[in-house]
Amino acid sequence: MNYHILKKSGLDGFIRALARKMKVCAPVAKGYGNYAFEEVSSAKDIALSYIPTILPPKKYFMPQRERLLEFDISGEKPAELAVVDAPEMAIFGVHTCDLAGIQCLNMVFSEKPADRNYLRRNEKALIMGLECNGYCDGHASCALVGAHYPNGGYDLFFTDLGDRFIIHVNTQKGEDVAEGLKLPRATPADMAALDKVREEKRRVFQNEIGVDPALLPAIFDRGMEHKVWSELGGRCVSCGNCTNVCPTCYCFDMADTINLDMKTGHRTRTWDSCQLENFAVVAGGENFRKLRAERQRHRYYRKFKYPLEKFYRFFCTGCGRCTRTCMAKISLKETLKALAVGHGGRI
Amino acid sequence: MKKETKAAVPAKPKVAFFDLACCEGCQLQVANLGEALLDILGAIDVVEFREVMSEKWDKDYDIAIVEGSITDAHAEERIKKIRARSKILIAYGSCATIGGVNGMKNGFELDEIRRYVYGKDYKFFDSAPTRPVHQVVKVDYFVHGCPIYPPELIEVLKCALRGIPYTVPASPVCAECKLNENVCMYERGISCLGPWTKAGCNSWCVNNGNICYGCRGEVKNPALAAGADVIARYGLKAELVKNKFEMYNKCKEGDADGRR
Repeated sequence: MNYHILKKSGLDGFIRALARKMKVCAPVAKGYGNYAFEEVSSAKDIALSYIPTILPPKKYFMPQRERLLEFDISGEKPAELAVVDAPEMAIFGVHTCDLAGIQCLNMVFSEKPADRNYLRRNEKALIMGLECNGYCDGHASCALVGAHYPNGGYDLFFTDLGDRFIIHVNTQKGEDVAEGLKLPRATPADMAALDKVREEKRRVFQNEIGVDPALLPAIFDRGMEHKVWSELGGRCVSCGNCTNVCPTCYCFDMADTINLDMKTGHRTRTWDSCQLENFAVVAGGENFRKLRAERQRHRYYRKFKYPLEKFYRFFCTGCGRCTRTCMAKISLKETLKALAVGHGGRI
Repeated sequence: MKKETKAAVPAKPKVAFFDLACCEGCQLQVANLGEALLDILGAIDVVEFREVMSEKWDKDYDIAIVEGSITDAHAEERIKKIRARSKILIAYGSCATIGGVNGMKNGFELDEIRRYVYGKDYKFFDSAPTRPVHQVVKVDYFVHGCPIYPPELIEVLKCALRGIPYTVPASPVCAECKLNENVCMYERGISCLGPWTKAGCNSWCVNNGNICYGCRGEVKNPALAAGADVIARYGLKAELVKNKFEMYNKCKEGDADGRR
């Protein structure tokens, strides 16, 4: 596929042109060093340099609260109507960690039975990545999991070359946008500048925990009884922040709500969290993960062991959100380091 | 598990609203429901509601919705009578469900606080330690909050009409606050009781720029050690957070297991 060029002075025109056609969302500064993906109408709304947003862009494909079904039980047979609200939209400025997150969720929701609501929204979105030329902050561990370079999952991918962006086109949809806006093709000089950025990144981004990621599966295999879990359990407040902000967490709860007419109603799906007290409670009152230590351990295994067996990749994209948002300052990097101690797998 | 044996309510149940010691702010929330109120009135028959009507009802109630705490012998007698006449009792608002701000009184010697409020003739004014409704009579449904979060009251009412249980979330306010993508108050350098307070309000206060005051009561299983850790980490004093929490939650000391 092709590379195009967009002058930085042309970004505003680019965003405005897109916003005339569809809803455009991008990272916006929320104050206190926090950012969130929100609808924008011009480039001045956008925070081009930002640390991962409070919630990852997964919220556009699996909304925090989502109506799935409307029903009517007044007739002889209950009637139901599946609903999906999937507007055409563009998401600009998605970092590689979040692109990796979207790729993970695409795999999860494509599994049979496929999740039509998620997939429809995903298909309708024009995803535009934005490269990190340096670290966002010290909580990220993207190099550990190899999510600091672009690896697909986008239509267009922007890399900052100083006065201009070089845009990699990854899909026909992306090509149509680039061609439609008559963005010039990249020159060999632009390609050389991109290579230079990537070369510099090789120096800047280094394995953040000093543990070979190839050893993580073995480390987790032997880690079930490690003391780090009880230590985490003692610190965790069970607020569920770490999973809500995770770009690859997808657990949800579903509930039917009836209207006051007691006939019609709807089914809602809401994000759930394995960290919450009642998550693993089943009929009869038994709780399969009663202890905070068990719940924290489960979270880590859901990132570094179970998905490996099912999807052949880590479900941690190194974005660092879980660490950043934790009230108790439970650090993913520190947990992995503690787990690896004594394993002899240091680089 | 306990089998639900709630009495089935008739097509248009007789519903009464009552108030004990409170500011009547939760009733105001009901009166202010707007369009939803019309739907509610289509589903129930309101037979007593002092804030909005003067009629009284002398038969039994299908559902009694009670605001306020029990703070004297008269209120105790009254709530027992209401209970005896009601098939279903819903406690709504912090005063009724956890004691709320009325509970602050329990932090003082009773006579001391009576003298402070009523002066030298305080003995003429009956007073008792504050209790939420469930510490006096059986409560079927709880709608926490100061004031109540109107959408939750409607959900509880629908559960009552259908005779099914309503589960107050066991998770803290943070869980909902994060879904609303609010900037955490602790990031702003402000202490907030969200991590220890039951969710269910859709982080209403934080969405509107305020902190969580703990008005919905403590989560079922608070992380005490971790809580102390967080308090220390943000350079707060445990005493300060405890005092803040007690503004609404002093009465939990009266619960058998120390919390509800």
